[in-house]
Amino acid sequence: MTLNVCTAVVRIDGLSRRYGAIRALDGVDLTLQRGITGLLGPNGAGKTTLLSILATVAEPDAGRVSVLGLDPRDGAERVEIRRHLGYLPQELGYHRHFTVAAFLDYVAILKEITNRRRRAEEIAKVLAITGLEDRARTRIRALSGGMRQRLGIAQALLGNPKLLILDEPTAGLDPEQRLRFRELLSGLPGDPAIVLSTHQADDIAAICPQVVVLLQGRVHFSGTPAGLAGTADGRVWAAGARDDRAHLSWRGGDGRWRHIGEQPPAGAELVTPTVEDGYLLLSHAAGAR
Amino acid sequence: MTSSFPGAAEPAAGAAWHAGEDLLASYAAGTAGAVADWSVEAHLTTCASCRAALSAHVAPERLAHNRSALLVRVAIGDAGPVRRLLRRCGVPDHVLSLLAATPSLRASWLLSVAAVAAVVAGEAAAVGYGWIPGGGPVTGPPGSAALAPFLLVVPLLVLAGVAAAFLPVFDPAWRLAAAAPFSGFTLLLVRAVAALAAALVPVTGVAFVVPGPGWLPVALLLPSLALSAFALALALVIGPRAAAVATAASWALPALWLAAADVPLLIVAPAAQVACAAVLCACAVLLYLRRDRFELGWVR
Repeated sequence: MTLNVCTAVVRIDGLSRRYGAIRALDGVDLTLQRGITGLLGPNGAGKTTLLSILATVAEPDAGRVSVLGLDPRDGAERVEIRRHLGYLPQELGYHRHFTVAAFLDYVAILKEITNRRRRAEEIAKVLAITGLEDRARTRIRALSGGMRQRLGIAQALLGNPKLLILDEPTAGLDPEQRLRFRELLSGLPGDPAIVLSTHQADDIAAICPQVVVLLQGRVHFSGTPAGLAGTADGRVWAAGARDDRAHLSWRGGDGRWRHIGEQPPAGAELVTPTVEDGYLLLSHAAGAR
Repeated sequence: MTSSFPGAAEPAAGAAWHAGEDLLASYAAGTAGAVADWSVEAHLTTCASCRAALSAHVAPERLAHNRSALLVRVAIGDAGPVRRLLRRCGVPDHVLSLLAATPSLRASWLLSVAAVAAVVAGEAAAVGYGWIPGGGPVTGPPGSAALAPFLLVVPLLVLAGVAAAFLPVFDPAWRLAAAAPFSGFTLLLVRAVAALAAALVPVTGVAFVVPGPGWLPVALLLPSLALSAFALALALVIGPRAAAVATAASWALPALWLAAADVPLLIVAPAAQVACAAVLCACAVLLYLRRDRFELGWVR
């Protein structure tokens, strides 16, 4: 059993998962390369299901998954994947009576760091990376939402993971905290592969060289952020007034209307689309289908 | 100031004990071992001269690194006398940290268990000793009808402690445990055994004050163990939550039925003990054979 991280970090073929009558994932095929991959989609698109399958916490109904070249269906390979995994679940519950240091100590033991001294060194390292050094003795219930999110990232970083799976790591963060988070991800030691989910298109544009758009359990786009923005080329206009033929339109801060649609409104000028425009157009098309 | 850790230097007459140079050097290099680390750190917190002596063994960047690691260790703490006692008894430190996340080992939980056990035992004692009038005719041994609530509730209290140790609803961070390489079965077993032991202490204690046969406190051990093992084994088949409910019912229904028939003690009679022993053995074997299928929060 060897780790194969030279090529694709994650390979997914025909992945499906149902919850009762709901198809959370419906035939997903995907290959994720090293670096940061952003998973973009609305709530209920299947992002959390996909990430929990990659994190070996859930099992697919059908399809094949390979994580770091290993098969999570095999018991020994599943444990090996977990040895190289840092996982931030979407709803990470905390033992609220724990202190920050005691919680990280607990997670470090779950990650098989049983030597007390090594554990303390690892914890000191992730506290420094996430800027929580001064909070080691604070009880988790006394932390603000932003600090808890940082603690969630800190626990994921324990043990130098080769693959970080972060489910909505920027949810609940204010703009400054989101900026700090981007900084943090860009400067991680060991250069781990990262898969993160978000519904903020600007997070993707800022830090992810790869983007995957997941809508209603299917992959609707996989490529670069520039490629996603490019799908809206020639279909985004700025105009002085509203036009009903637009798929989507809203008035921007400058008072001008931004139109996304097939037909230009009267007197409109074509503008360069953003990642968000591309995403909105894709989700509109998926909704209309 | 005295210290008794290995490698301590011989004291000058009338002077304090101090860590020897060799020990400080191996501590600084990280090769002293866990026990010596503990002793050195306990000593360093109170001895300025040994702290000064230690710094001679460490490069400045290593010193800063060690300092932050030491601060982390102080922040983690050693969490009270029970944990210190268990560590002295040879329980590995990391196992004790895992137990800290078990809800049924928290003081509030154990106090609730003790309180419920005390209420049902108090009721049995009050009726059995004739302090308050009991209802219904008594056809079994004297006081046996009064024991019905006690016999019904006590094994369920133990079962609740074990269930709380493995039901994901009681572990807010269960997804982290599920995605971690640490064996789910070991984690489950460590928690379940600790929860079992912790619950058995108060319930066995109150069993001594209940009027009834002298073997009553012992008679509850085997059913409690069998129910806990049965719940874990059943979790492999029908999932943890349903298993906890079904196991509770498998005790409550016969206990209620025998109580209604005025023979509540039959549920801990020799025949029942044999049945419990058989269930315990069968479940233990099954759990061992299927240990790979156990993962915290769900079962493959």
